[in-house]
Amino acid sequence: MAQNKTNLRRAIVLLALASVFFITLDLSDSSSTSQIRRVFGTVFSPIENVTRVVTRPLSGAWNAFREYDDVVAENNRLQEQVALQEGAAVAAAASVRLSQELLALNGLPTLAGINSVTAQVIGETPTNFSQTVEINQGSNTGVKVGMPVLNAAGLIGKVTEVFADRSLVMLISDPDYALSVKVVTMSSRTPITLPALETQDAPTVDSVLDTKDTTTTSSSTTTTTTILGFTPSATTVPAEVVAGAKSNITVPLASQLAVRETGILEGRGRGMRPVVRFLDASTRASAIEVGAPIVSSGGSRSLAPPDVVIGVVSRVVERLGTAGPILEIDLVADLSNLSFLRVLLYQPITESGR
Amino acid sequence: MFERLVAVVRSRWFRMVLVSLSVLSLQTTLFSEVRPFGYAVQILAIFVACAGATHDVYTGAVAGFVSGFMYDAILATPLGISALVLGVVGAGAAVMLQPFRDPTWWLRLLVIGVAAALGEVVTPLVKAVVGLDGWLEWRILGAMFVTFGAACLFAAPMISLARWTLREKVIYGSR
Repeated sequence: MAQNKTNLRRAIVLLALASVFFITLDLSDSSSTSQIRRVFGTVFSPIENVTRVVTRPLSGAWNAFREYDDVVAENNRLQEQVALQEGAAVAAAASVRLSQELLALNGLPTLAGINSVTAQVIGETPTNFSQTVEINQGSNTGVKVGMPVLNAAGLIGKVTEVFADRSLVMLISDPDYALSVKVVTMSSRTPITLPALETQDAPTVDSVLDTKDTTTTSSSTTTTTTILGFTPSATTVPAEVVAGAKSNITVPLASQLAVRETGILEGRGRGMRPVVRFLDASTRASAIEVGAPIVSSGGSRSLAPPDVVIGVVSRVVERLGTAGPILEIDLVADLSNLSFLRVLLYQPITESGR
Repeated sequence: MFERLVAVVRSRWFRMVLVSLSVLSLQTTLFSEVRPFGYAVQILAIFVACAGATHDVYTGAVAGFVSGFMYDAILATPLGISALVLGVVGAGAAVMLQPFRDPTWWLRLLVIGVAAALGEVVTPLVKAVVGLDGWLEWRILGAMFVTFGAACLFAAPMISLARWTLREKVIYGSR
């Protein structure tokens, strides 16, 4: 009896130690754990596929039972919305194309220059303590760990595990997810009016180059926008031309530029809005408006290329002292209803080699 | 050599691995989509709790460790977390039934539900210990209730499955 108890204790301790050993090994990014996952994934994949086929009628019945009314209501709402959006979409597509052409012309990185792979969501997370989805594209199509994943609306997460023909995507709402973002704020919601331009005095290229003295000209363009946070032409319209003896420098008026705040976006789990922290402490909460767009900031160490749309500010929480405000974000992508996704073939430097 | 291989294949632990793979495939397909009140039913935890409730602490712990290790291999969480948690669930179910010589069916069912629900508390705790915090929230209670309810519903077939999987072949007359 005593011998049995000792053996049992030994076995329990051994199992606990084995668990701790594997956790330590995995947290230190050991390649052996990746190998174990890869082998297990290969063995498990056919079993999972067979079970998925067999259980599809059951899950279909469950979804039909649970979501029929919602689907009908949503369908009606979407039909109305599609009718409203059709015209706007054409104009928006033209603007996006123009913007991409301008960025390409200036040698700036654009999403259009990054290849992507279209994938379909084939499974959700089986646990209550992670926010992941499984997609049907893997290393065979060039998907690698760390690549950003988008749907039609915007960023939804990043690839965390890659197998031959499937991958796991950590959603942006997972508490382990963090991404550097920028908040594009504007000075006001009212139509933006840039200083008046006296067209007869507007300098030509030649006249500017020939000018010996410093001249100041102002331009007049009335730019009206209803898109919060975006000030079309604000950074391109020359507001002040300084002509020196050797060079001409154009200085845009700083007060009319959109204010860009950078911070770190963090997920907070299922059903909770992600937040943006670590904004500059000097940022006044009043400077950031509800509805201001949030886009990825990019940069050499960022997990995503710049200017990928993420969401809009839904609440600004001001904090006392030197702590900057915290922003709650409404994501543009509906994470509860993901179907087709786009994996950008862009591997961040921080994830390379994985 | 061949006889030894046959013995391994016929052992209850080999059967346990195969059955765990099947239950795990149910977990990642059917039960990742069927989410009562938005919570995923942890059928694997229920199976492990059944294994512990129908056998001893050692069997429950090993069944939990093996199943959990396989669960970890398909999740993005560190390898070993679910192994530890499900080991606790399996052993916990057996420990809770130890004081009772011949437990009634409803007591067994209650223990399975409690042990499986316990797993929903231990998981975020272990994750927090290894630095993956952010999951210790009130919604754990919801996950516990759903798992408990599902355990009450699925315990009967799972007990039969666990008994069949982990039964030991008794050879009469051998020493």
